[in-house]
Amino acid sequence: MPKAMGAVKQTIPAEIGGDMDAAVGSSGTAAKAAAGRKVLPIVEGVVLVAALLAPLVLQDYLTVFATRVIILALFALSFDLVWGYAGIMSFGQALFFGSAGYGVALLARDLDITNIFLVLPAGTLIGLTFALLLGGFLLLGRHPSSVIFVSLGTLTGSYAADRLARGWYYLGGQNGIPSIAPMSLGGYEFSEGPAFYYLVLGILVVVYLLCRFLVRSQFGLALAGLRENEQRIAFFGYKAQHLKAIIFAIGGAIAGLAGSLYAFHEGFVWPNMVGVVVSTQVVLYVLFGGSGTLIGAVIGAVIVEGVSFWLSDNYRDIWPIILGLLLLLVILFRPLGLISFVLGERERVGSFGVKIKETRNAP
Amino acid sequence: MANAFVAAFEILSFGAIIVLIVLGLGIIASMMGIFNFAQGEFVLLGAYITYLAHAKGLPIWAGMVAAPFLVGALGFVLEALIIRRFYAAPIVAMLGTYALGLIIRESVRGLIGGFYLTVPEPIGGSIDIGAMHISAWRFTIIVITLLVMGGCYLLLSRTSFGLRVRATLENPSLARASGISTPLIYGATFAFGAALAGLAGALIVPVFSLFADLGLRFLIQGFVAVMVGGVGSFIGPVAGAGVIGTLSAALPWVMAPVVADVLVFVLAIVFIKFRPQGLIAGKGV
Repeated sequence: MPKAMGAVKQTIPAEIGGDMDAAVGSSGTAAKAAAGRKVLPIVEGVVLVAALLAPLVLQDYLTVFATRVIILALFALSFDLVWGYAGIMSFGQALFFGSAGYGVALLARDLDITNIFLVLPAGTLIGLTFALLLGGFLLLGRHPSSVIFVSLGTLTGSYAADRLARGWYYLGGQNGIPSIAPMSLGGYEFSEGPAFYYLVLGILVVVYLLCRFLVRSQFGLALAGLRENEQRIAFFGYKAQHLKAIIFAIGGAIAGLAGSLYAFHEGFVWPNMVGVVVSTQVVLYVLFGGSGTLIGAVIGAVIVEGVSFWLSDNYRDIWPIILGLLLLLVILFRPLGLISFVLGERERVGSFGVKIKETRNAP
Repeated sequence: MANAFVAAFEILSFGAIIVLIVLGLGIIASMMGIFNFAQGEFVLLGAYITYLAHAKGLPIWAGMVAAPFLVGALGFVLEALIIRRFYAAPIVAMLGTYALGLIIRESVRGLIGGFYLTVPEPIGGSIDIGAMHISAWRFTIIVITLLVMGGCYLLLSRTSFGLRVRATLENPSLARASGISTPLIYGATFAFGAALAGLAGALIVPVFSLFADLGLRFLIQGFVAVMVGGVGSFIGPVAGAGVIGTLSAALPWVMAPVVADVLVFVLAIVFIKFRPQGLIAGKGV
C-alpha cells in the first residue's frame, strides 16, 4: 500500500494537470483563476464575515432562521463530502441526520441528558454507527456495488426509516417527539438566539476546516480519483471500497452532528427528518451551490433556504415548482453549480502537493 | 375459508396494482438504463386526468382511456427535450428526472390543493361468489393488468417494433448501423413507459383517491421491485413487482404492519446485495 501511494503521488497530479489545461482554455473564469488569483479563499472569507456579522444586523426571528440555515449547511457539507468528493450518491443522507436527532431527543426525554458535551458526541456517534452499518453493507463485499444500487439502497433505507418512525409508538409515531429540553452547559441553557447561532457557526467552521484539510490530503486526492475513475484507483492498489466506506462513515458522522443540533434547535423531531423529503433537500442544496467544493454546499444551503424563506410568504404554492425548474436548469446547464460562475475548474479540483509547478518549469 | 379467500384476493389485487405501476418503470429502466424518478408523477398525472374527466362530467372510462395517450405524449416531448441529455450518466438522470417529477407533482398539488379527491369506480358493486363478496373494480384491475402484461410481452417479443427496441438495447451502435433510428426508439420507449404509468394512475385512482403524493407512495416500492426482478429484461421487473407486491400485501396479515412494511424493504435490499443481477438475469424480453 505505501508503495502504491508513492506511485500515485507522482502520477495523478500530472494527469489532473493535463485534463485541467483543456478545461482552463475553454472557460473565461477559469483563465482568470489560472492567472494566479485565488478565488476560493476570497469566497470563503466573504461567507465567513457575512455569517459572523449576520446576528448583529438581523432581527431576532431572522437569527433563529439563520441558525437553522447554518445547521442545514453543516448537513449539506456531509452530503458534499460523500457525493461531491467521493462520487457516492447517498440519497438517504437524512437517515443519519434524523436518527441522530431521534437519538438525542430520546436521551433528553428518557434519561434527562442534555449536556452539550454528551449529546453532541452521542449524536455524532449515532450518525457514524448508522453510516458504518449501512455503508458497510451497501459498499463493501466481494463484488463492487453499482452506483445505482448504492443510490437506491440509501434511498430505500431512508424511506424504510421514515415508515418505521411513523409507525413506532415509542418514537412518537406521526407526531414525533415534541418539546425536547434545551441543550445545556453546566447551568446555562442554549435557547434560540445569538448564543446558539455562534455555537453552531463555530462548529460549522471547525468541521469545515477539518473537511478542507481532509479533501486536500492524500486521502482526498484518492477520493477525487475514485470519483473520476474508480477502476484506475483500484489498479493503483487502493482499496476503493474501503475508501468509500470510510468517507461514507465520516459523512454520516457529520450528518449526525447536524441532526442533533437541529433537534435541539427546533425543539422537536418528526418522521420527515429521517425520510426522503429531507434526503432530497440536501441533494438540492449541494447541486445548487456546487458539488465538489465545500463552500458550494454551504452557499447552496443558504441560497435555497434563504430564497424559499423569502418567497414562501407570497408565493408559497409556486415556490416548489420554481425550485424544480431551477434545479433542472442547473443540472442541464451548470452541472457544477452556482459556484462555477466565479470558481474556475483548476481551483475547484485544487492542486495537491507542491511538485506540479516545479516539474513543469524544470527544463 | 372465506377469510382466507378474501385475504388471497386482497393480496392478488395489490400485487396486480404494483405490477401495473412497475411495468412502465421496468421497461424504461431495462430498455434505456434510466431509473425514472418522475415515473410516480406520470402515475399521478394519469390519475389527475381521470379525475378531470370526471369533474367535467365526462364518463370516467373516457378519462381512463385518454390518460395513457396524454401522459405518453407528454413523455415523448419530455424525452426529446430533456431526458435525451442524460443517457450517458445514470446518476444525473436520476437527479434530472427527480427535478421533473418535483415540477409535475407541485403543479398538480397547486391545481388540486391539499385535498384527497375521490373518483368513483366505473364498475361499481361487488362480485358474489357464494357468501363472499369481492370488489368488482379490483377484479377488473387484475384482469386489465394481465391483459396489459400479455400485450407488452407480445409487443416486445413478436413485433418488429419490439425487435428494434431490443436491438437498440443490446447494441446501440450496431442498431444505428443497421438503419434503426435509435433516438426515435428511445423516444418511443420512454413514451410507452410513461403511457403505462398514466394507465396505472387512471386505474388505481378509484381505489386510492387522488392526492399529490399518490405517485411518490409507489415510486420506491417500484424501484425496489425493478432491482429485485433484475434490470435488463421485460419479464424481470414484472416478476420483481409480483414478489414485492405480494409480500407487502401478505406480510401485514401475519405480523405488525409497521414491522412488515420495513421488513419488505430490508429483505429486498439484502436480496439485491447478494444477487445483484436479480431474480431473472439477462437481457431481452
